[in-house]
Amino acid sequence: MSAGKCPVNSTIYRLKDMIEMNRLVDPYCRRIAEEILELIDDIAWGRAGEDHIPTIDSLSRELSEKGADDSCKETGKFVQTALQESMEVFISHVKTHNCNTGDCILLAPAPCQTACPAGIDVPSYVTLIGMGHDAEAIDVIRRDNPFPWVCGLVCTRPCEFMCVRARIDTPISIKFLKAFASEKAMSDGQYKNPEKEPDKDKKVAVIGAGPAGMSAAYYLALKGYTVKIFEALPVAGGMMMVGIPRYRLPREVIDREAAMLEDLGVEFVFNTRFGKDITIEQLKEEGFEAFLFAIGAHKPYKLRIPGEDDYPQVIDSIDILRNVALGDRHSPGKKVVVIGGGNVAIDAARTCTRLGCEEVTIAYRRTHSEMPADEEEVEQAEEEGIKMSFLTVPVEIVGQDGKVTGLHCLRAEMVTKAGSDRKFPVPVENSDFTIDADAIISAIGQQVDSEGFDTLTGLTWTRRNTIDVNRACMETSMQGVFAAGDAVLGPATVVEAIGGGKKAAQAIDRYLSGIPQPKLPPVPVRRGRLDFMEVPASTKMSLKRPEMPLLNFNRRRVTFQQVELGYSENTVREEARRCLRCDVCRRCGACVDVCRDRMEINALKLGYLDFDHPVQTDFRDTADRCIACGACAENCPNGAMKIEDVGDERILSICGTVLNRLKLEYCEVCGTALGPAKYHDYITRRLKGIARTTEGRSICVECARKMAAHQHNEEIIPIR
Amino acid sequence: MSKYHLYQDTDKCIGCHACEIQCKSNKSLPVGPKLCEVIEIGPKLLDGVPKAAYVYVACFHCEKPWCIEACPAGAMQRRAKDGIVFVNHDLCVGCKSCISACPWGAPQWDPKRCRVVKCDFCMDRLDQSLQPACVTVCTTGCLHFDVAENINSIKRERHARLEVEL
Repeated sequence: MSAGKCPVNSTIYRLKDMIEMNRLVDPYCRRIAEEILELIDDIAWGRAGEDHIPTIDSLSRELSEKGADDSCKETGKFVQTALQESMEVFISHVKTHNCNTGDCILLAPAPCQTACPAGIDVPSYVTLIGMGHDAEAIDVIRRDNPFPWVCGLVCTRPCEFMCVRARIDTPISIKFLKAFASEKAMSDGQYKNPEKEPDKDKKVAVIGAGPAGMSAAYYLALKGYTVKIFEALPVAGGMMMVGIPRYRLPREVIDREAAMLEDLGVEFVFNTRFGKDITIEQLKEEGFEAFLFAIGAHKPYKLRIPGEDDYPQVIDSIDILRNVALGDRHSPGKKVVVIGGGNVAIDAARTCTRLGCEEVTIAYRRTHSEMPADEEEVEQAEEEGIKMSFLTVPVEIVGQDGKVTGLHCLRAEMVTKAGSDRKFPVPVENSDFTIDADAIISAIGQQVDSEGFDTLTGLTWTRRNTIDVNRACMETSMQGVFAAGDAVLGPATVVEAIGGGKKAAQAIDRYLSGIPQPKLPPVPVRRGRLDFMEVPASTKMSLKRPEMPLLNFNRRRVTFQQVELGYSENTVREEARRCLRCDVCRRCGACVDVCRDRMEINALKLGYLDFDHPVQTDFRDTADRCIACGACAENCPNGAMKIEDVGDERILSICGTVLNRLKLEYCEVCGTALGPAKYHDYITRRLKGIARTTEGRSICVECARKMAAHQHNEEIIPIR
Repeated sequence: MSKYHLYQDTDKCIGCHACEIQCKSNKSLPVGPKLCEVIEIGPKLLDGVPKAAYVYVACFHCEKPWCIEACPAGAMQRRAKDGIVFVNHDLCVGCKSCISACPWGAPQWDPKRCRVVKCDFCMDRLDQSLQPACVTVCTTGCLHFDVAENINSIKRERHARLEVEL
C-alpha cells in the first residue's frame, strides 16, 4: 500500500473533532457540519453518488460565508480547503470506490490488486473462476488487462508475491487461473469483447504492436476512437511474440487475443517502421490527432569485450529469439555460451537446446541467488540440461580463422563495497579460464532503439535512453504524443507494459476530449464485491497449491511445445477456493483481539492477519474453543467475519471459510433461536456462585420481559 | 438495588407507550431495542367485563446483577454512588452474554452500533438534576422516579386512595 494519509479520511477525523469538541455552538451550523460529516463518511465507505461532492461544496461554502460565528466560518473554510486541495482523491473515492492509502478500509484494494501493474481486481476474478464463471472472470480481467491469456502464461506475477495466503502456506496460483479461464472461455466461444462506445470520429496512431501499444489500442477502440497500429515486424505481439519463446507462449494465444482487437475495428499495418517508412508529418496529414509510441526496447547492449565484433558466431539473444520466432530454426552452433542471468538469457539458452545445440552454458557474473530470472525458469532450464557457470566474468571472445573457439573468462568473488549493502562481483586475478564454444550469445539487456526519432526534435529522452514521460499520464514533452511500455520503462514485463498502455489510453482520451490530465497516476479500481464461496475450514487448510505438470524432458529438449501443461478444471476450481478474499478482510485483527483479549476465549488462530509477526494459522482450531458468541463478527469493520443462523445451526465464518458450526437451542416459550449450548454453558460458568441456577432456563429476551411483567402483575397488582 | 426507584402506578397507565418512544428518541436507538417497555396483560374477562393491565418493565438495577457477572469485557458496570447498572459502550464487545444471563430481558441489542444497550435511568440526565426521559412524558403521570425512600410515600398514598374507593 502506498504511504501517506488519505485526505478523505483525515477530513473526517478533523471534522468529527470539531463537532465533538462542541466548538460549533450555533445549532444551525452544527447541523450543517453534521450533514457534511455524514456525506464525507458516505464517500469513505463507498456509498456516495454524483451529488455528494457538489453538496459538500455548497454546504461548506454556506458555512464559511454565512456562518453565525468564527467557529462556523472556520469549519466551513476547513472543509472547503480540504475539498479543493484533494478534489481528485475525493472524486476517485466516489467514482472508483477506491482508496489507495488503505485508510478508508472498505475501499482499499487487496494486496494482490495493489501489486499488479495493471491493477487487475484479482479477488473478484479468482472468486468468479472458483464459481465456474470463466467468461465473467475474463470480463473482469479485461477491464484492466486485455490479455488475460498471455498474462496467464507468462506474467511475472507480482500479485503472487504479495498473496496473503503465502503467510499460511503458498500463494494462490493466480497466474495460471487466468490462463485456464481464458482458454475455457475462448474454447466455449464466450470470450467476447465488451460493448463499444459510439464512434468519436477521431484517429489515434499507435506505433508498435506490443503489449503496451495493443492495450492502449484496445481501450481507445472501446472508447470509440479509430485506432491504427503501425508495426515494424510482420506479426503482432512485439516482445511477446519475438522475445518470449513458443514453448512458454504459443503463437495461437497471442494471435487470438490480438484478433479480439481487430474485432473491435483496430487496424494493423505491419512491416512499417516509424522514422523509415512513415513520419509523424505523414500521419498528421492522414488525420491522426494523437500518437502513442510503444516501440519497446529491441536494441541489445554491447558486451564491450575484445572479439565481440570479429566473429559472425557472436549473436545477440534478441536477434536469435526473433529469428526463431519468425521461423528460422537453425542451430547457432554445437557448444553455445549465453552471457547473462536474466529471463532473456534463460530463454535464449533453452531455445538453443531446442534448436539442437549439444552443450549450452549460461555464464553469469554473480551467483544463483542473484539471478534476476524467474526461479521456475531457471529450474526448468537446469532440468533441460543447461549448465550454469556462476561468478564468471567474460573478458574476451577468442577464435581462429574467423570462427569462435571459446570464451575467455575470469572467476569473480562477491565483495561488499564501502557505503553499500549490495555485493558486487569483483574479478579474481590470475583466475583465467576458457569455456569452449563455437557460438556466443549475449543477453545482458536491451535498450530502446531511438533510430529514426531524430526528426522528433521536441521529444526528450532520459539518461537511460528511454522516452521521458509524465508518469501520471504517460504524456511526452510533445503535445499529443504519448509513450508507454519498454520505450518508457526500459526492458520490463508484459504486465507493466499493459498497465502503461492502459494509462496512456486514458490520458489520450482526456487529451482528445479536452480534459486536463491528472496530477496523480490512476489507482487500481475495485470491480466488485462478490459473495463469498463457502469452504469448510478443513478444506481451506488441506487444499495445497497444485504442482504444474510439465511436458516430458525428452520432448522439452527437442520441440517448442508448451512446457507447462496446465491444471485440470477441477484443480483450478479447488485452487480458487484457497483465496482468502483480502478485498473484504483487511486483516485488521479486530476479531482476534476481541476473542483473545476481551472475551478471553482465544479461539481464533489467524496468524496470517499479522503482517509483522505472523504466527501459525489454522482455521480448523477455531471450533475447539469457539462458543459462537459472535463478538468477532460484531467487531469486524468490513463484514468479513459473519455469524449466521442457518437451519438449526449457528455458523461462524470468515470470508466464507466456515470456522465453527454449533447446534442451536431455542426459547422454551416462543421457539426463537437462542444460541448454542456451548455459549450458554459459558454464561452459566460465569454466573456460578451468584445465580441460583440458570440450568434448564432457556427463554428469549422478549419472553423474559413478558414473564417479568406477568409476575409483577400477578404478585403485586392483579387486574382488578 | 439502586438508590432510586422507578415506580409505575398501573392503575393509571393507559398503555400509550409514550415512555418507550421518548426513551428511544433520547438514546437515538434504531428499530429493535426497547430499553423500557409497556407490556399489555390481558385483556381478561373479570366479572363479565374485559380488562387489561399495562406493566412497565425496564431494568430492576439488581443488587447483584447477573449481567455484570456474565459480561467478560467489564462493560456492564454498577455505578458506585447510586447503584445504577449501565453499559460502558467503549468496552462492550457485543458478545450478548448479558442478554442471555438476565432473567428479565433488560439488556437489549442495538443492531446498528453492534453493542448492548440498557436502561441506565438516564444517568446523564440525573446528573443534571433532570428526570429520566420516560418519566417526563408520561401522559397520565403514572411513572414516578425518585430515591427509594420517597417512593414509599407515593405507594402509601395510592394504597390509601384505593382503600377509599372501595
